Amino acid sequence: MFIRRLPKFEYHAPESIEGAINLKLTYGEDGRYIAGGTDLLIAMKKREVTPHHLISLSNIDTLKGISMADDGGIRIGAMTTLGEIERSELVKRYATPLWDAVDVMASTQIRHLATIGGNLCSAVPSADSAPPLIALRAFLKILGPSGEKTVPVENFFKGPKETVLNGEEILTSILIPKVDENSGGCYRKLMRRKAMDLAIVGVAAWIKLDQEKKRCIDARVALGAVAPTPIRVEEVEKRLIGSIIDETSIGEAAKIAGTQCRPITDIRASAEYRCSMVEVFTKRAVLGAMDRIMAG
Amino acid sequence: MKTYSVVGKSVERTDARIKVTGQAYYAGDLTAPGMLHGKILRSPLAHGRILNIDTSKAKALPGVMAVITGRDFPGIPFGTRPDIRDQLPMPITKVHHFGEGVAAVAAVDEDTAEEALDLIKVDYEELPVVLTAEDALAPGAPLVNEFKNSNIAYASDFMFGDVEKGFKEAYYIKEEKFSSQRVSVGFIEPHACLAQVDSTGRILLQGSKQSPYITWRHMCRALDIPLSKMRIVNPFVGGGFSGKHDPFDVDFAAVRLAQITGRPVKIVLNYDEVLAAYRQRNAMDAKLRIGVKKNGEITALYAENILEGGPISGIGPFNIYYFGAFLNIPYKIPAIEYHGKLVYSNRAPCGTVRGQEIVLAQFCIDSLLHMVGEDLGIDQVELRAINAVPSNWVCANGIVVDVSGLSECIEKASEKIGWKESRKEKKEGRGIGFSCASHPSGPRLGGHFGSAVMLKLLEDGQVIITQGATEIGQGSNTVFCQMAAEELGLPFEYIIQGVSDSDTTIFDSGMFGDRATYWDGNATIAAARDLKKQLAEIVAPSLNAKPEEIEFENKRVFVRGEPARGMDWLQAVRKAYYEKGAPLYGRGNWAALDIDIVDWKTGKGNLVHGLDFIATAIEVAVDRETGQVELIKAVHGDDAGQPINPAMLEGQVNGGSAHMSGHALWEESLYDEKGRVLNYSWRDYKQPTAMDAPEYHVEHIHTHDPYGPFGAKGAGEASSCSTIAAIANGIYDAIGVRIKELPITPEKILKGLKEKEGK
Repeated sequence: MFIRRLPKFEYHAPESIEGAINLKLTYGEDGRYIAGGTDLLIAMKKREVTPHHLISLSNIDTLKGISMADDGGIRIGAMTTLGEIERSELVKRYATPLWDAVDVMASTQIRHLATIGGNLCSAVPSADSAPPLIALRAFLKILGPSGEKTVPVENFFKGPKETVLNGEEILTSILIPKVDENSGGCYRKLMRRKAMDLAIVGVAAWIKLDQEKKRCIDARVALGAVAPTPIRVEEVEKRLIGSIIDETSIGEAAKIAGTQCRPITDIRASAEYRCSMVEVFTKRAVLGAMDRIMAG
Repeated sequence: MKTYSVVGKSVERTDARIKVTGQAYYAGDLTAPGMLHGKILRSPLAHGRILNIDTSKAKALPGVMAVITGRDFPGIPFGTRPDIRDQLPMPITKVHHFGEGVAAVAAVDEDTAEEALDLIKVDYEELPVVLTAEDALAPGAPLVNEFKNSNIAYASDFMFGDVEKGFKEAYYIKEEKFSSQRVSVGFIEPHACLAQVDSTGRILLQGSKQSPYITWRHMCRALDIPLSKMRIVNPFVGGGFSGKHDPFDVDFAAVRLAQITGRPVKIVLNYDEVLAAYRQRNAMDAKLRIGVKKNGEITALYAENILEGGPISGIGPFNIYYFGAFLNIPYKIPAIEYHGKLVYSNRAPCGTVRGQEIVLAQFCIDSLLHMVGEDLGIDQVELRAINAVPSNWVCANGIVVDVSGLSECIEKASEKIGWKESRKEKKEGRGIGFSCASHPSGPRLGGHFGSAVMLKLLEDGQVIITQGATEIGQGSNTVFCQMAAEELGLPFEYIIQGVSDSDTTIFDSGMFGDRATYWDGNATIAAARDLKKQLAEIVAPSLNAKPEEIEFENKRVFVRGEPARGMDWLQAVRKAYYEKGAPLYGRGNWAALDIDIVDWKTGKGNLVHGLDFIATAIEVAVDRETGQVELIKAVHGDDAGQPINPAMLEGQVNGGSAHMSGHALWEESLYDEKGRVLNYSWRDYKQPTAMDAPEYHVEHIHTHDPYGPFGAKGAGEASSCSTIAAIANGIYDAIGVRIKELPITPEKILKGLKEKEGK
């Protein structure tokens, strides 16, 4: 009912991914990986989960940092904090919608602790980092006892607080492909107040235009907080691709977005309000993306 | 006007550095040798009979030193007034709201205490809940409070002037209903205390208390001990806003557990407990009818107000009284009829919040006034100016307004916000709203109601001040140090703030109603004069002068008109100490004896001095697509008499306004159908952040109050009263949608826009 003190647990801080996986193999269900801990420790204080072993990923250096990959894409280690992403020139320049998202996430203090991997693995419907990564066509690298696999972000979520990760697997890094010419993206988040708030609706849009910057030749649109998981809305993309991006096409695409979401009514907003805001914010996110393409 | 050397200057707060460097000790930081940690078990039900509480297993847990329930107290109810003693330290027969404390544990550490809570078994019989005023007043409604045989906790009916005549004279009459939500009080520091009991049984309580006097009185009554058996020392307090007047189960449990174990006991709450189970502002259902002449002059006002206040009265009678009695200000209203009711419910217990229920009354009145202005085509600024209470005004209920700067406040606020310009060219989605307000500088109560200050002269020439007022973040300590320095002719740095301790301090009746600057300020001046008088008597013979000829200025003690004929302050102090063996204390007290005592029955009389006035103009931007409101700019024309510390005064004015912007737009404590609170975390209870605050401007309107210290009035609460209507009116001005139910959420705005377009 009320927040309690942390239950007792043993804290492990391995220095390698293999070490972490071995510990998880040892403790099984009684062990949990911990990244920044800003979600997990609260869940433990609420007794939603009570693992007796926390396996920290904080001492594994290979999970940290932001770098440009050989192919011109961006690699972000899963244990990179939101604050580091917020301060990254690479992210701001080449993965702008993700920068938009971290800029409006939680508070300075939380951003100092929370990691992007943690935000994705917690898999709450309102996770701000997910829609921009879906729109940016990002992939997740996952390492487990049986080897490595790569999953598109849009396929990562299975349900509220549920991902495709199983057992001992660790999300190691996020790979954002190279920015195409004449493309741009934007994330827009609706909050009740201007800071330290969850998304009521989050929309990320990425648009690619033809050489003349007239017609849309590719698009990605993803929604947060309006379905059991962050979702990609292909129907919206279809309406945009091949069209001149103008008031009509944006308006129609936005209307489609409003019908594609499946929100719930809760204490934060009604389902009806969320749907109409998906429409508004899809419009704004697409316009934001267009502004950036035109400016770039 | 006299020029001051310390008063009127924005000196640094006495507690600024210690607070910003984290060195200030709050109740939760305190420790004592052998200290135990206490935890409270809370009711999962909003309403239920307690059939049995089995604490045996908890008591048997190693490390647990004591477990108590309501039965461990004498069973004596307490309350603000003798006729509303309707509250026990902890419940015995029934629980009244979600999260109510039903048992408490003291153990060697917090983990053990928490574990013990799991071992306490409480058998409840669930009872139907009363959630709203409508529920409470329904025929056959379940009774909430076991000491009362009605759900009406308190009622007032006031009649000022000839209301019938007033409405007859009206050219236009408008009637509207308004409502407001449950909000939490909003201080930063959760409730916490450390209780100790010495070998004689004397209790020492150090808690986060706003009004230690109220806590002290109520606790001694309910514990059935004389006042002298309890000592209260107030540590730094992290905000009060009227949420920390009375004692809570936290305080009672810590004391009782310390009594039983003979060891110090500390209890510190988490904020989710505060949001779920402690003081909130009443929900309001009000109906107001206003009559005006063709030019907008108000001829009469009729007001009905039902406050839903949770399972106890608390200071609810004051809320009813304040709402009604202060309908008389800030506008000239010749006739007023008022019917107020406080009802019990099974939601969290209410106190009040900053500005008391004048906040709610003013939201109604100034919203209604705006609507009248729209209907009659009268300019909003002119409408307020024509009705503004002037100086030397006698209100319909008998309140005498000595000095009012309200007209100037209105003028300055409208000028600075750019009202006239905004009428010429209206920006899409932008609007400006006005509201005025007035707040008195403390009422005269029954029982102890005076303020006392003591100045202790140290041999190095510095002076320690202790006063009955409590520093809760509002800056009162700094203000009294400034006043003492001014009156003694010393630099501000010469005055040292003493502790707030019931053994050495005569506590004020309470920290509420903008009273401290005014009452304790006057007592500070009296204490300084007393000290000067004593020192003058010692010094005068050596200067061949009479004591009454001695002046104190600029660290010098000299014969009036002859600055050279004197000595340094330090020399005078040493003379007292070393030559006369006379360490000195200056004592002062003050009470407004020429005003009338609170008249609960009629609301009539000259009830207050030092009415401070404010005119608030707020510019808002409304997003027609999302319904979101952005506060752009807020201007307060503020008459607090002589500002003692202008920077701190601005902090109070803007702080009160920012605080109530939360009540206007974001905050609401939500309950489900069983009375369980739904949003008792900071994630879901939306208080505004600094990012949500507008650009603030305060225009000080200097006036001189004849009774206030250095001409000052109370300050800080008026802006709370003027903010909500200003925002609501600004929204109407922006998009033509009138919201009368708080909070003004985006969904309500979109609904309003839809209805408007549908017409």
